[in-house]
Amino acid sequence: MNMETPVIELRHVDKHFGLLHVLKDISLKVYRGEVVVILGPSGSGKSTLCRTVNRLETIDSGEILIDGEPMPAEGRKLASLRAKIGMVFQSFNLFAHMTILDNLTLAPVDVLRIGKKEARMEAMRLLERVGVADQARKVPAQLSGGQQQRAAIARALAMRPEAILFDEPTSALDPEMISEVLNVMTSLASDGMTMLIVTHEMNFARKVADRVIFMDDGMIVEESDPEAFFLHPQSERARDFLNAVHSH
Amino acid sequence: MSVSNLLSQYGDRYIQALLTTWKLTAFSFAAAFALGVLITILRVCPIKPLRIAGDFYVQVFRNIPGAALLILLVYALPYLKIIFSYEVCVLIATTLIPSAFCSEHLMSGMNTIAPGQIEAARALGLTFFQMIRRIVIPQALRSTVLPMTNLLVATMLTTSLASQVPMRPMDLTGLVSYINTHATGGVTAFAISAALYCATALLIGFTGSLIDRKVRILR
Amino acid sequence: MKQTSIRDLLYETPGPAARKKIRVWTGVALAAIAALIALIVRQFAETGQLAERYWSFFAKATTWRFLGQGLLTTLEAALTGAAIAFALGFTLMRGKLRRNRILRGISTALIEFTRGVPTLLFIYFFFLVVPQMGWKLSAFWKITLPCAISACGVVAEALRAGVNAVPKGQTEAALSLGMTETRLFYRVVFPQAIRFVIPSLIAELVIVLKDTTFAYVVTCADLMQNAKVLISNYDAMLSVYLVVAVIYILINYLLNKLSDVLAVRLHSPAERSAAA
Repeated sequence: MNMETPVIELRHVDKHFGLLHVLKDISLKVYRGEVVVILGPSGSGKSTLCRTVNRLETIDSGEILIDGEPMPAEGRKLASLRAKIGMVFQSFNLFAHMTILDNLTLAPVDVLRIGKKEARMEAMRLLERVGVADQARKVPAQLSGGQQQRAAIARALAMRPEAILFDEPTSALDPEMISEVLNVMTSLASDGMTMLIVTHEMNFARKVADRVIFMDDGMIVEESDPEAFFLHPQSERARDFLNAVHSH
Repeated sequence: MSVSNLLSQYGDRYIQALLTTWKLTAFSFAAAFALGVLITILRVCPIKPLRIAGDFYVQVFRNIPGAALLILLVYALPYLKIIFSYEVCVLIATTLIPSAFCSEHLMSGMNTIAPGQIEAARALGLTFFQMIRRIVIPQALRSTVLPMTNLLVATMLTTSLASQVPMRPMDLTGLVSYINTHATGGVTAFAISAALYCATALLIGFTGSLIDRKVRILR
Repeated sequence: MKQTSIRDLLYETPGPAARKKIRVWTGVALAAIAALIALIVRQFAETGQLAERYWSFFAKATTWRFLGQGLLTTLEAALTGAAIAFALGFTLMRGKLRRNRILRGISTALIEFTRGVPTLLFIYFFFLVVPQMGWKLSAFWKITLPCAISACGVVAEALRAGVNAVPKGQTEAALSLGMTETRLFYRVVFPQAIRFVIPSLIAELVIVLKDTTFAYVVTCADLMQNAKVLISNYDAMLSVYLVVAVIYILINYLLNKLSDVLAVRLHSPAERSAAA
């Protein structure tokens, strides 16, 4: 039994979109330094689950705790708790009117109140790390999808987050750019970053995940270590899913 | 009458009329912009009745003909014991109508912002007002430079309403009808005013596209 | 399909405190709006403008028949003006897209000229100068022609935007099939372009319609002019002008709504099927 407080914890979370029951009694813990990958067919609710963690989606019932603290419903408290959890989106969502560098320094300066100079230095260091430092003065539209996504990861890192949520970070990328983003994520994982990742990249999941969660129809169907999941899936649905994926 | 004849007789008046048109345009546009921002805030605020009121305002003033509004202000309002000078009536009309269009432009400017960027701002921990200040307003303003340029020209054209009331000094349109009812200025009198209007419009358009090229957001 | 607007995206699902705030402010706003309406009504009452004699004649059929006649003239002038503006605008657009530099220059100059000069100036030109030149025009044409000229530059630019929006690949495909350029324009490019610009053409019709309110300058019996007759008959300035203003607003509102609906419908067949 792990006695440590999880960085992210969901307790009996339920959510409906109208008549659709998209999250059914979801409970989940992500501990410090852990990499948890959520797999599942599209429409299984995995993206929604990821977005509820920082309240980009509200929930109908249940509890979400960050560092043991319940997620506030609104206001400054919500904002400052969100600041602790980074998020990387499918469509990058860099601010179109700012340079890459300004994208990285905006929140550290405005939210964390870090000095401009320090924020810039930190931003450049992070851009270096994800390999787009030479693009710092450009605006997002001048970058390739892979570069944008790497910059978006750097933007999340600039907030010195306790954990980062990845909502299908490679789904909008051309095939040749997927690996450059996955490489950055792999290096983050090996540096001990706490990560909750929704993805369709099976090889990546198998290599990087500490734990795999398989979702279908709004429920967590299986939760196990990656080797066990990929070699011996317990449920019928997981077997079907893996067969469908591998037959591609 | 020849151009030189006209200019020697009415040259000063043309300059005065041009300045009047410019003054009316500048004042109306500034006021319309301020009012447009205010109306837009009402239209996007979360309070339903204020949204509806803002929408109603825009529909009324974007659809009312300038002449109808001016006539209401000048001739009908006094029956309600609300009396403005001619000049104020013109300014009200040339402000209210552009303000509705200004709000429409601001709304469509805001609608160019990708929803994902608002989510990203939230996820980074920006508060609502930080998001508005750093993400929404800059993008909305930068993508409305050309519509606002066109609005400034439209405002200038609207100020010709001033010719419909006995206002002194006269604007460019008023002066032409004055010259032509006192003498036969003929085509030339019109050509001078038209040229001055056009030159102003071209100047505004040129400046606008210069600014737009500088601040346009690549997408 | 309901379009999501920035209005809704700006706000998150409100929490309990935000919900309470919204409720309170909704109450305050409703009270303020009610107070404003009450103030306006009181002003009407105190100045005697609610008196029956100012409003009772609106119950008569003759009043509406008379206003209707004026409205018909207004619409006739607006539609005729818009049609002429379309013809002129089309010609200018063709001119601006020509390779011939002189034609292109003249067209560009005319477009900029008509876009930069107020309609009223054109109206005064037709009212004051045209008769001096010995050209006798009826009141109807004295208002319709200047409105049309004033609108044609904007129409030309709208049409040009539509033509430019047609994908270049089609032009190349058609040319490689051996179509002549004229044929290509009328058979391939323009039919598509017109779809793109129908909404802005309707918006332009609204502008022409608004401009026709200046018909009183040339004493053409449009809606505004007929309103004046009613006013002198019944000595009811405020009520008549208000009603007339509302008629104009409603017509223009409906035209703009139509333009919005068509804009969504006509946007492009591909996008429509993708959205469905």
